[in-house]
Amino acid sequence: MRLRLRKKQKQDRPSRNQLMPPEGVPLTMQIAGVGVRLGAQITDIVITTIALVAIMILLSALNITGPQTIVAIGALLFFLIRVPYYILAELVWNGQTLGKRILKIKVVSHDGGPLTTHALVLRNMMKEAEVFLPGTLVLMLDASSPFASLAAFAWILVCLLVPIFDRYRRRLGDMMAGTHVIHMPVPVLLKDLASEPRTISQDKKGFVFLSHQLDHYGAFELQTLEGLLRAQSTRPTGSDAERNKTIEAIVEKIRKKIGYANPVPQADRLRFLQAFYKAQREHLEQRQLFGDRRANKHYAQNEEDA
Amino acid sequence: MKDQDLMRSARFRKEREADWQRLEKLVLSAESRGLQHMDFAEARDLASLYRQATTSLSIAREISLDKALLGYLEALTSRAYLCVYAPQERLGGLFQKFFAYSAPQAMRRSWFFILLGFLCMGLGALSGYLLYFESADWFYVFMPAELAGGRGPDATYEALRSVIYDENPDASGLGAFATYLFSHNTRIAIFVFGLGVFACAPAILLTFYNGLMLGAFFALHVDRGLGPDIAGWLSIHGVTELSAICIACAGGIKLGAALLFPGDLSRVASLRHAGRDALKLALVAALMLLVAAFLEGFGRQLVQDIYMRFIIGWGIGALWLIWFLFAGREQK
Repeated sequence: MRLRLRKKQKQDRPSRNQLMPPEGVPLTMQIAGVGVRLGAQITDIVITTIALVAIMILLSALNITGPQTIVAIGALLFFLIRVPYYILAELVWNGQTLGKRILKIKVVSHDGGPLTTHALVLRNMMKEAEVFLPGTLVLMLDASSPFASLAAFAWILVCLLVPIFDRYRRRLGDMMAGTHVIHMPVPVLLKDLASEPRTISQDKKGFVFLSHQLDHYGAFELQTLEGLLRAQSTRPTGSDAERNKTIEAIVEKIRKKIGYANPVPQADRLRFLQAFYKAQREHLEQRQLFGDRRANKHYAQNEEDA
Repeated sequence: MKDQDLMRSARFRKEREADWQRLEKLVLSAESRGLQHMDFAEARDLASLYRQATTSLSIAREISLDKALLGYLEALTSRAYLCVYAPQERLGGLFQKFFAYSAPQAMRRSWFFILLGFLCMGLGALSGYLLYFESADWFYVFMPAELAGGRGPDATYEALRSVIYDENPDASGLGAFATYLFSHNTRIAIFVFGLGVFACAPAILLTFYNGLMLGAFFALHVDRGLGPDIAGWLSIHGVTELSAICIACAGGIKLGAALLFPGDLSRVASLRHAGRDALKLALVAALMLLVAAFLEGFGRQLVQDIYMRFIIGWGIGALWLIWFLFAGREQK
């Protein structure tokens, strides 16, 4: 019982993908997972390593380094390249390093405000402590010092576990700086199904649905139908016979549910669905304007529960 | 088809579609070219169209059940939001701001913590110094063998002197510089800052221990009658370097104190608040360590005269102090 209670409380929280900009209209931006962020991090390390190798080759060509100091100089150069790289890249490209650009993820401010310089500097300085310091420790691991290797291992484990268990997949630096990482949203404007002109067979009588016939479904079913109709016009999958069978099953199901008496011939099935979509949407939107939101076909039972 | 034939949500979309598409174009150009390279009119339109799009989105959520439209508006508004609220500062201005105002102001705001940092180091040095004269064996307790580099209570006057006044300096200045930066003190500074989060104690202990080593090391040379010489040898870079460790410690203590005594804020909020100044202290400490590395890598070998070492070391220390005390004051 207590478990159920807690679960219910958790459901009441706003979705973790929601971000509240200063305009006060919550926006949905998908949180980037640990895997894609690890990918971006590795890409960035590869990029900075390439820069490092190029400079090292130049230095050794100029005979500046000796063999005994090459490791130390390499470590120093890597440090001097990567620290400004992460900070400046995120400042110039608005929260994206090259690796993040390639994988289309981006840093945003957790509270929905503007991304500040302070936040970007802080989260990337913490990266030194979270990623690179334990990373170098692992590279320098030594079987003779089991305590040090154990400590380095525990450190890495903690740094990895923090984002896995955090609700917003933030690492420690993100928490301190007040940021998290999202997938870039891609705006694609599809055609409005309801604005399609009724060109085909104007001579035939159009389908007419009565008000009580439209009281069976809610928004979820409507949007599922919308997905089906869009899929028909864009990318036909499977064989024609299979598709026809699916359409037929859907049409019959809807007809039975809403009590639509006239049989629908095969040629008119898609047109029937389009007409039904339009009528249903108009009806539901009208109900919604009057404060009667119907999330799905169970809306009537839910009202009784509440 | 006439507009009257359309249902309300389709009409809503038809009226605004052109604006949305223009906003989409503006967002794309802002993302590829950057806001600062856009025309005035474009930037103004971007901001106002963004606000219109947020309004459209909230209306659409109320009146429309078209999933495609809702998804599009959601993504478009998000993209526009990311553009409009991007960091607007120029890089040059950022550096100027850091050096001219924010860093010295943060230093002055955290004067108490910096005092604590210096106190930790100073008390440690004093105890190390006194303990050495009580029994020279303390030196082995404080000083790790690899750091002492053969300099211990058994070392002769000549051996100690030859390290201080290097007769045949190493040719590779860059190599020495690089090895130095990843040597002991930088690591200490990083740890001292980072560990401050764990309720101050590790930062204070580590700084104190560093002071102990310093005190014992100094006492060893004083014991051999090399007091002023070692002071000169340490001064040239140590003034900058040890101050950097103390400042890093101050940053660490600041974070720890925010965690221990959050006041009216929640602990996370308090940590975030303290982080603003602590980060600047860490950046200042990093800068000072870099300068100290240059001084040690090049200056210490080139300048063999004891008086010059004092002048350079404390002169640069005075320059730091002037920066911290006088830069970024409000004009009255």
